This record gives sequence, structure tokens and C-alpha cells, in this order.
Amino acid sequence: MMVRRLCKKWVIYPFIKHKVRHFLNPLKIFVALGCVSAVLSVLVLLGFLIQSSLPFWQAFGIQVLWGDAWYPYESLFGFLPAIVGTVWALLIAMIIALPCGLAAAIVSSEMMSETWRNLVRVGMEILAGIPSVVYGLIGLWLLLPFLQHSLDLLTGHNLLAAGMILSLMILPTIMVMSQDALQAISEEQRESAMNLGVDWQQRLFRVLLPQAWPGIRSGILLALGRALGETMAVMLVVGSMDRLPEPFYNILEPAQTLTSRIGREMGEASFGSLHFSALMGCGLILAVMAMGLSLLAQHRSLIR
Amino acid sequence: MKWFLMLLALPAFLFPLASLVYILSHAWDSLSWSLIFGAEESSSMIEAGQGLWPQIIGSLWLMLWACILSLPVAISLALFHALYASRRQQRGLMMILQLLQGIPPIVYGLCGLIVLVHLLHWGISLAAGGVILAVIVLPLLTSNMIHALERIPMEQTESAKALGLSPVQIIGRVWLPLVWSGVLTGILLAMARALSETAPILFTATVFSGVDWPDSMLSPVTSLQTHIFYLAQEGSDAHAVGVAWASAAILLMLILCFSLLALVLRRLEEKV
Repeated sequence: MMVRRLCKKWVIYPFIKHKVRHFLNPLKIFVALGCVSAVLSVLVLLGFLIQSSLPFWQAFGIQVLWGDAWYPYESLFGFLPAIVGTVWALLIAMIIALPCGLAAAIVSSEMMSETWRNLVRVGMEILAGIPSVVYGLIGLWLLLPFLQHSLDLLTGHNLLAAGMILSLMILPTIMVMSQDALQAISEEQRESAMNLGVDWQQRLFRVLLPQAWPGIRSGILLALGRALGETMAVMLVVGSMDRLPEPFYNILEPAQTLTSRIGREMGEASFGSLHFSALMGCGLILAVMAMGLSLLAQHRSLIR
Repeated sequence: MKWFLMLLALPAFLFPLASLVYILSHAWDSLSWSLIFGAEESSSMIEAGQGLWPQIIGSLWLMLWACILSLPVAISLALFHALYASRRQQRGLMMILQLLQGIPPIVYGLCGLIVLVHLLHWGISLAAGGVILAVIVLPLLTSNMIHALERIPMEQTESAKALGLSPVQIIGRVWLPLVWSGVLTGILLAMARALSETAPILFTATVFSGVDWPDSMLSPVTSLQTHIFYLAQEGSDAHAVGVAWASAAILLMLILCFSLLALVLRRLEEKV
């Protein structure tokens, strides 16, 4: 009985009477086709990523995450060097880019005239569009020799260079987002702060920055996500050596990040091998980390 | 305090500008017509003497396919958001779009490598690169379109409905004149993005040399982005370095064309 009623309601009824015309509406068909193809393509792509990294997780288990040796040809897969390298590169990039970008946003939004502010903004948006290979070239042929000479190193390829290049790349993101957040504060807030007689510095730290903080925070998280996934520039300067920094704060040695490992070794790994599947595992870790960051960014900006 | 902040902000303004100037000044020395169109006799080991024309065409092809493939899907998603979705579905859609935008491009490249290159046997091809780039620019394009549609005042749609217009008529006659500049801005930004992505097409679409012109959708291409990377790997050869700077400058100029056009359009739209 139940089944029959459901059938009538969901299967038969839609196809009789005026409903037929309703469903053959070309607009609806177009929209439905587009949505289905989008969902399907994304699901298929990500599904196969998980599926093809599965053999690796089955063979070695989760403990590869803190294994410290990566020799694919001897079936030693430890992710720790690459993860530590990634974290160091992100940390260096943030240490450089965060104060500079935030200060630049404050300067341009609070101390500059309208024209200059627009000019700076346009400049930053253009800079955000520069492809990462080009930054890689700058890193390779300008930054590396400079580091090598000034710090007297054997090779300029190291984590410091990767962090510096990354900081150059995420600077526009941080700055544009922080500037937007500062500009979104209403004029009344500024004026009432002025009426209370607080000076510039107090106004900045007590009124403006606390209100802009959610926006700034999501900007930082977005920038982190971008730096995490950046491949080409990092690949060119980081040196691609699979070993842990020794001691752990030594950032002046060649190292490896997750993205640079994928980029370097994807060409050598044959399809279907364990090495290939391990690299897919790298990709999966990257995807999970990036999705976590972007969820965090959204969460903050939604809830406030 | 003000001075301290200014001092701190100085590198943020100075370094990006300096690096831009550095690229352009290096490229200026090596950029020439013969380099682009390949008139000169090559004496170096690498095949840089044949000109950068194939690379430029390859990059533009990839960009074009990415846009052609992702445009209808983005339009239909945006229309779904504007016409049919409930409040909750709208929020969910935006969340998923942001999530997809957060995934690093190289991960999409890996996915494409498995599915398109190996499982579907397309090989290293223009088609694989186009599809992957399309998936990468899809979230950007869709969210730009959604924002453009959201800026339409409610009264316009309501009065159009009150006049008895069908949804197709509303879209064509009321929405399109209002949003075309916003949509065009979105498309231009997506094009700039597709041009600047390198990592995802490195293993799926491009080869270093030996290809002048893609014969079919399933043949490999060569693109500016990956050409720069291969030349950078090549290392110390002075000629290769020059060619790399020149192709970086060409790539930058192409990207700047699209993104500046997008900025101008957005400015115009804000003024109206």
C-alpha cells in the first residue's frame, strides 16, 4: 500500500497533466544538467583521489605520518620531513607577511587619501594575479644568490628562501582582506571615538582592530591556504631534500614540502605503483589541510 | 606609532613593486619580435630558437577551453542559486564553493592525472588540461556570477514578475542588461586565473618541446607557464635564462590585459 502510494506521488503524478510541461522547461533542464555535471565531476575527481591513495594507507597505515625517512625505491615512506618543511615554510611566510601586510592595510586605509588608497588596492590586486612560476624565477635567480652570498651558505636552496617567496605571494591577500575589513567599519564608530577624545593609537587598538578582527582572521586563514597549496615557486627554491631539518630549527638547509614533493616526483612514479599511491596520499593530506583551513575561515566569518 | 607602522608597511609596498620592475627590466633585454615569432637561427641546445609563438597559443588554447567548459556550468549553478534554491541550499552552495576554492590546484591536477590521463586514456592532452583548469576556475566563476546576480535590486525582479514575464524573459530582458558587466568581469578574472595556473597542467597537458600546434584535442600542447618552469630547471645557460624572463614577461602582460580589463569594468560598474 505504502509503496503504491509513494509511487503514485513521486513517479506517476509528476508525469501527468500540466506537470509534463512544467518539467520539460528548457531553463530547468539546463540548470539541472549544469548542477548535476558540476557535482558529478567534483565527486568523481575527489573520489578517485581517495580511491587511488587507498592501497598506500592499507599497506602502511597511519603511522607514516610521523615516519622520518622517505626513500620511495626502498619502500620507506615517511611524511614527517615534508610536513615539517611545509609547516616551517608557512610559519616563516606568516612571520614576514603578517606584520607587513597588516601595517600596510592600516596605513593605506587610515592614513591615505581616497585616490592613493584606490591606487594601492589596484596595485595589490594586480600583484595577486602574478603567476607563481614568475615568483619562482625571482626566487631562483635573485633571492637564492643573494642568500647564498650574504649568509655564506653552500647552496641558497633552503626553507628560508621558500618562506620569503611565499610571504611575497600572500602579502596581497592579507593586505586586501584586512583593508576591506577596516573599511567596512562605519564612519560613526570613528567619529564617536574621536568625540570621546581618544588619540589615534587608542582608536586603532581599541576600536578599529577589534572590530576588523574577524575579517582579518579569515584573510589570514585564506592566505595560509594559498601558501599551503603553492607549488611552483616553492618547488624551484626549496631544494627538494627529503630529510628533517637538523636540528629542527635549522631553516638554512635544503628541505621538502608536500607540494614540492608531488611536483618533483609525479613524473617518475609509474601509474599504479605504491610510490604513485603515496604521492596521492600527499595530495589527500594537502586537500584535507586546505579544506580545514577554509572551513575555519568561513566558520569565523559566519558566526562572528 | 604612526612612523613605526609606516616603516613596517614600507616593505609591503616596496618589495612587490621592486620584483615587478625586476622582471620587466630583465625581460626588456631579451624580448624581441624574433624571439616570439621564431625567425632567428637557434644555436643553443634547447629548442628555444623556434620562438615562443607555440607556447603563447598553447596557453591561450588551454585558457579558452577552461572557460568554454566551465561557463555553462557556472551559469546554471548561479541560476540555480538565484531561482530555485532555498535559503539553506544557497548557504550550502556558497560554503561548498569556498571549500572547493580552498583546495590547492595541484590536488586537482593529481585527480585529473588519475581520472582523465590514466583511467580514461586521454593521455597527456589538451583536453585533460582544459577539463582540469575548468574545474579549478569553476568555483571562482560561479561565486563571481552569484555575487553579480545578488546585486540586482529586488524591486526589478518583483516588478518583472508582476508584469507576467516568464523566467526566461526575466533573465534575458531584465537581468542580463543589469549584470552583463559583472559577469564579464568574472569571466575575465577566471581567464587570468586559468592563465596563471601551472602546477595542475604540468603533468597532464604539456610537454617541453616538439609540439608546435596541437593537432587534436588528445595531443599534448606546450604552454608559457610550464615553458618557464622547464627553462628555469635548465639552469645556467644564458640564452635559456633570457628566454625564461621573456616568456615570464609575455605571460604577465597577457594576465595583466585580462585583470586590468576586469578592474576597469568593475570601476565602471561601481560608478553607474
